[in-house]
Amino acid sequence: MNVDRRRFVGSAAGLAATTAVTGDWLSPKHSVSDRRPRSLVAILNAAEYSEKTEALLMDGLRLFRFNVLGKMVLLKPNLVEDLPGPVNTNANIIGAAARCFLRLGAARVVIGEGPGHQRDTELVVQAADLKPHLADRRIKFVDLNRDELARVKLKANYSGLGELWLPRTVLDSDFVVSMPKVKTHHWAGVTLSMKNMFGVVPGMKYGWPKNLLHWHGIHESILDICATVPIHFVIADGITAMEGNGPLQGIARELGKIVLADDPAAADATCARLMGFDPHRVQHLSEGGRFLGNVRADRITMLAERIEGPIRPFAVLPEFHYLLARTVL
Amino acid sequence: MDHVGPLQELRRRELFGGGWSFSSSPQMSLEATCLASFSVLAEQPSSASHVVLPLLHAQLSDGSWPSFISDGESSWTTALAICVLNSANDSSGARERGLSWLLKTNGREANWFWRWKFKLADRAVRFDPDRYGWPWLSGSASWVIPTAFSVIAIKQFTACSRSEISERRIRLGVDMLLDRVCLGGGWNSGNSFVYGVPLPAHVESTAIALLALQDEERTSVIQASLAWLKQRSSNIESVESLAWCILSLFVYQEPVEHLKARLATLVGDGRGIRNNATLAAAILALKCGEMIHPFEVLR
Repeated sequence: MNVDRRRFVGSAAGLAATTAVTGDWLSPKHSVSDRRPRSLVAILNAAEYSEKTEALLMDGLRLFRFNVLGKMVLLKPNLVEDLPGPVNTNANIIGAAARCFLRLGAARVVIGEGPGHQRDTELVVQAADLKPHLADRRIKFVDLNRDELARVKLKANYSGLGELWLPRTVLDSDFVVSMPKVKTHHWAGVTLSMKNMFGVVPGMKYGWPKNLLHWHGIHESILDICATVPIHFVIADGITAMEGNGPLQGIARELGKIVLADDPAAADATCARLMGFDPHRVQHLSEGGRFLGNVRADRITMLAERIEGPIRPFAVLPEFHYLLARTVL
Repeated sequence: MDHVGPLQELRRRELFGGGWSFSSSPQMSLEATCLASFSVLAEQPSSASHVVLPLLHAQLSDGSWPSFISDGESSWTTALAICVLNSANDSSGARERGLSWLLKTNGREANWFWRWKFKLADRAVRFDPDRYGWPWLSGSASWVIPTAFSVIAIKQFTACSRSEISERRIRLGVDMLLDRVCLGGGWNSGNSFVYGVPLPAHVESTAIALLALQDEERTSVIQASLAWLKQRSSNIESVESLAWCILSLFVYQEPVEHLKARLATLVGDGRGIRNNATLAAAILALKCGEMIHPFEVLR
């Protein structure tokens, strides 16, 4: 039988696609589906961190319909290192968010983080200048690297980890808010609300850095963690973002945006578009768009500002040039 | 320096069944328990049998220790536990079983396949995979702090009689630490260069790595790292980092009284420090010079 090359390649591709679909159907990689028909995103313009941030954030949060009355809200910022530059989520936004959620009726707000590199969490908290925002007794900081742990079966199986020990504070929270710093990342391409959840994985069990997650695949681990610890809301700090060799050694990029969303995939897709990237080319985002939330622009309702071009793409390491969108938006 | 108030506070936080958790939970942490045990032993050597009991109960069947109770996986805290048993002069045989586990445990680079991968294919992080140490938990790569504590534990326990394999692992561990040094001195978790860009050192990692190297020849790498730590110590306001800084600088016979005074002010009566491992490290630092240093290695 003669089979020409084009037909062979076509058949092979068809077979591979069929196998993937059938494989996913026979043995699904996730047991949750958090994707709704539409997601809400609000891009807020903010030229600087100031005392006006809280009012801006409050107006932005009121665009969404969520109920935190009497609930324990966990704010998960991105606090990584005691380094200068836009490495950490700005304390001004973290403090403002904590006070906003209290004003919206939250019983208490916990700011929780488990830095991945620096073992001395207090040093990071000091460097981020977070302490003045912890004066209200209803706002508490918890070192997630050293919290009480419980073993949890993962609700997705991309990494093959099967289960993880996770902090009680995270598992007992009623409303989880991921608060990333908008940055490029030298392993994952970008670090946004989903990658930010690496910080809930405890160093006291997995070490500094949380190397096990890297060995099992960064994108795969992100998907498994986000499937297991649902992110209810996102407040992304993109006022001063980071481009180039992030997440530690990049350079500041004045983006002037805060991105709010009721869906982590929609939040990250929007941030990626603001960075000049095609979100479908970010592996964990592309896959997360199948079950964690909406990545497609036509499934996202913009409540405030729109993404307006032309966009000057963020600088990236050569390894990540493929992320750049051919047509932005 | 007043360490009595903080020590009372630490003892008040001891779990009902012995041992310490990191903060207010009932889950015993091996790191917190080991550091707290050193603090109690330094004040009350006669309490050794009481102090080591939770550690002996926590030892896993393979000779290692987990990072916390209810976890069944071996961890880096094995090295810390051996150091505590060294201080307590324990003769139950637990140290021998722990040492045996330590000598069998490697970072993942010890495997030829991963060495080959890091040499030829995965070169984003600059390091020599032939020089490996110990991981945080079995099955991952070597990192600075687990390697440093493992080197200290083996050096201490085998000071009088050292087997060839112990000597070989010490040398490999020391070589790994020297390979991972940051530009300008000091250590971070173990990635000194990523994509050709140097990453900064951390105080705690540097202090602990220097403790592991205290009896080694004072090469330029060690001198530079010591100088980095001294310089950095002048403006540390964090209890944990300052405590480790004092514990390290002391064994290098550097002046630490001014640092102890600052630490005493930060610690107060200890009630403001939620992390028991931090509180215990601070007590040890405040007692430096008045006790046998728990991480001292005899030359």
